[in-house]
Amino acid sequence: MAQQFFYDGQIRRFLVQFIRAVSNFDVEFGRDRDGTKTLQRVPVYYGDPSRQAATILKGNSENTLNGVPAMSAYISGLTYEQSRMQDPFFVDKMNLRQRRYDPDTGLYDTQQGDAYTIERLMPVPYKLTVKLDIWTSNTEQKMQIIEQLATLFNPSLEIQSTDNYIDWTSLSLIQLIEVNWSSRTVPASVEEPIDIATLTFDMPIWISSPAKVKKLGVIQKIINNIYDEQGKFTEDTILTNLVSRMVVSPINYSVFYSGNQLKLLKQHEIANDDGSLIVTQPPNNWRSVIEIYGTLVTGESEIRLSLPTGTELIGLITYHPTDPTILLYTPIEDTAPTNTLSPVNAVINPINVTVNNNLTNPSNGTRYLLTDDIGSAINLSGSVIWGSLIAKANDIIEYNGTTWNVVFDSATIKTTEYITNLNTNVQYRWTGEEWVKSVEGVYRGGDWSLVI
Amino acid sequence: MPRLSLWKEGRHTNDYKFIDRRMSEMFTIGGTGILVHKYLGPNEQNISKNTSSAQASTSSSISFSSTADINLGMFVAGNAVVTGTKVVAKTANTVTLSANTTSALSANTTLKFYTDAAQPSYMNQSAQNIQDLFFLENRDRKYDTSVYNLRGIYQTQDVTFDLSQFGMFLQTGTLFIVFHINDMIASLGRKIMPGDVIELMHLKDYNPLDDSLPVALKRFYVISDCNNASEGFSPTWWPHLWRCKINPLTDSQEYKDILNQIKVDETIPGSGTGNISLGSVSSIISKYQEINDAIIREAETNVPFSGYDTSYLYVKPTTDDGRYPTDPLGLTSDGNITADSGTINAGAGIDSPGEPVRGYLTYAGGTINGLPVTVGISFPTNPMIGDLTLRTDYLPNRLFRYDGRRWVKMEDNVRTSLTPGPDNDTLRSNFVNDTSTFINNTGNVSVRQSLSQALRPKADN
Repeated sequence: MAQQFFYDGQIRRFLVQFIRAVSNFDVEFGRDRDGTKTLQRVPVYYGDPSRQAATILKGNSENTLNGVPAMSAYISGLTYEQSRMQDPFFVDKMNLRQRRYDPDTGLYDTQQGDAYTIERLMPVPYKLTVKLDIWTSNTEQKMQIIEQLATLFNPSLEIQSTDNYIDWTSLSLIQLIEVNWSSRTVPASVEEPIDIATLTFDMPIWISSPAKVKKLGVIQKIINNIYDEQGKFTEDTILTNLVSRMVVSPINYSVFYSGNQLKLLKQHEIANDDGSLIVTQPPNNWRSVIEIYGTLVTGESEIRLSLPTGTELIGLITYHPTDPTILLYTPIEDTAPTNTLSPVNAVINPINVTVNNNLTNPSNGTRYLLTDDIGSAINLSGSVIWGSLIAKANDIIEYNGTTWNVVFDSATIKTTEYITNLNTNVQYRWTGEEWVKSVEGVYRGGDWSLVI
Repeated sequence: MPRLSLWKEGRHTNDYKFIDRRMSEMFTIGGTGILVHKYLGPNEQNISKNTSSAQASTSSSISFSSTADINLGMFVAGNAVVTGTKVVAKTANTVTLSANTTSALSANTTLKFYTDAAQPSYMNQSAQNIQDLFFLENRDRKYDTSVYNLRGIYQTQDVTFDLSQFGMFLQTGTLFIVFHINDMIASLGRKIMPGDVIELMHLKDYNPLDDSLPVALKRFYVISDCNNASEGFSPTWWPHLWRCKINPLTDSQEYKDILNQIKVDETIPGSGTGNISLGSVSSIISKYQEINDAIIREAETNVPFSGYDTSYLYVKPTTDDGRYPTDPLGLTSDGNITADSGTINAGAGIDSPGEPVRGYLTYAGGTINGLPVTVGISFPTNPMIGDLTLRTDYLPNRLFRYDGRRWVKMEDNVRTSLTPGPDNDTLRSNFVNDTSTFINNTGNVSVRQSLSQALRPKADN
């Protein structure tokens, strides 16, 4: 497969700017038969036209009159400049935020738009040599042009190929190297209608490869020790078994996930041990945080929540239509934790559960997660509904067609387990001590990341 | 019987006349029609004035209706004026010369005044005059409005276009054409000389690429060299033919008198009623200028101003203590942060950055993040934190931000157009393009003056 084509017209832009720099100069013609002096602008154009274009300019006629004074510029050399070479492998990165652009008006407004990281490869230094031919019909005319041009280069004239803030190669300068005063042999033995003075200029330029423009790169996790406790450096060390690592969030915010909403919290706003939140005023505004890094793109921007299993819950985000402190969060189902236990039909309190047909005549395989204890070893008669079942809060019981049995003994299982309540479709996670909602809760800085 | 001799010194013999008439007939029979624009000499470049009253006797004092355009030190040319005479004093209506006139001048006598001795004025329009005695060239030429019809003979040639750089190169198209000397003098009054312009009528181009042109394109040449043709010597040894080297005419200063005066849309030739000049139809110069304009437009699109455009960049605002206001800021008029608002409201100041984008030539007089800015020559009263103001009385214009205690300089407007011209605000351009004036005791004074002429008296016109 061929290399990807790229062309940015870099040399052309320098030449265009060169012609601009020597444009708009006038010569003064003396008094005509009416006693009027006139100024005539000296046109400057590229001096190496195609034969066809030149013929078109001449109207495909031998009778079209050439005009002077005029100037033509053309490239006479392009050489690599070893002396200006720098580290060819150097890649410079710059992070920029744009103002928000309105494509309808073509204007930027006062809000933050997209943010980018631009990677620029070290450009290649060249010396561009350009000749400027000055066509005049008399000596006075030549003097007029040369005198005006001569003050431009002291010692050089700065030019730019673009005004793009990102283009670190746009700046160059024009150095006057040599003046060939006349194309004619002096003294001229016959009257020649046109004389040519040639000025030679050098421009130190750079030619660049394309840049890489990426979404703004933000450090989400910093691993400051890549060795394990034995001082070994292995893939496992990096990927899983780090004993000493520091996960940081650049702005140290936490998020609180509840329902389909995310709220932004400062560190000190997570205060109570019971998980209740102490939120200070004013509430934190999602937009101002996200716009540090870029623009939220609905349907593309994500927040990733690090789960205890080591996986991430990935969800799409969008701003709440009215509440700037809330981010609407839609988890991608495939990234949600997989149930490790068969689902339960309901979460019930066995003490005050409503007795209905589901209890009096349960079908085979009915499963319930209990929020309170039921039964006792000293109650030999048992109950009408549960029989002789003895279970603790957090246990899961199952009906086998004849009796209820404990199938999840919370007192003995310490591994993380996931289960879904079919009654509410809420997934729960067993922490080893209690059932909690599987993914909802507080995620501290470093345990969540923003992808925009 | 005298010895036979076709050569005779002095008057031409009948042999000469016989041969000359036969040669003239050959031109009439076989020559091509050529129109000649006769060069008359340079246009008057200096001040020409008529005396308003007669001198009573030879004197150094001469009267004019006005002397406003005459400067002290000017040379004076005229009948009865000694060469090298200068103006040594003047009043509103009289001029005092450095030497007396050699005879008393009558009223309405023309005198001419000029500054450069090497670019003198001449009392008569003549092809013998030289406009610039230093460079020895005639730049602003005057041509006879009458066109002379001659016959000439030349060898047609295949022309090879050299289009590199300039369309047709200098020597390409050079021809040698011969004229009958006596016919030429009888018609023109003199021999054809370098600077005369001829039109070869048989080379008129009726089919140029642009078929909207109002007339056919004519082929003009300018005479660049003349001498007696070697083939034009008869057995009498006297020359009969004038051989001229001709080059294609260019649209240049020298020939503007022809190219501007001739109107191709005149209904009656020579009546001066047309509007379309020969030059505008035949010359390529306007196309070159259009091309140059297009190049400048492309250049201005690429680089509207020097330096770098940062107006599209967003600068994160900071609070007074330098932090990002990730919490919505409400700023009271005294600068305290309020906690009662989730958004900026009318009571708050501008949530503006405390620092602009730093870099080489990055500010063009706008504002930061597109925030509102007050433009004026004084600071606004009762500002709020973050308010921006652009002081246009600063040169370059300067953007300030109010930080609660003082107006802090943010940026100077240092970006400028790079196209040479009045919009170019570089230091050099400020010297070249300053057209301002001021008034003092001597009247209006231009700020921009050539160093060699600064503070010297000048004519008012």
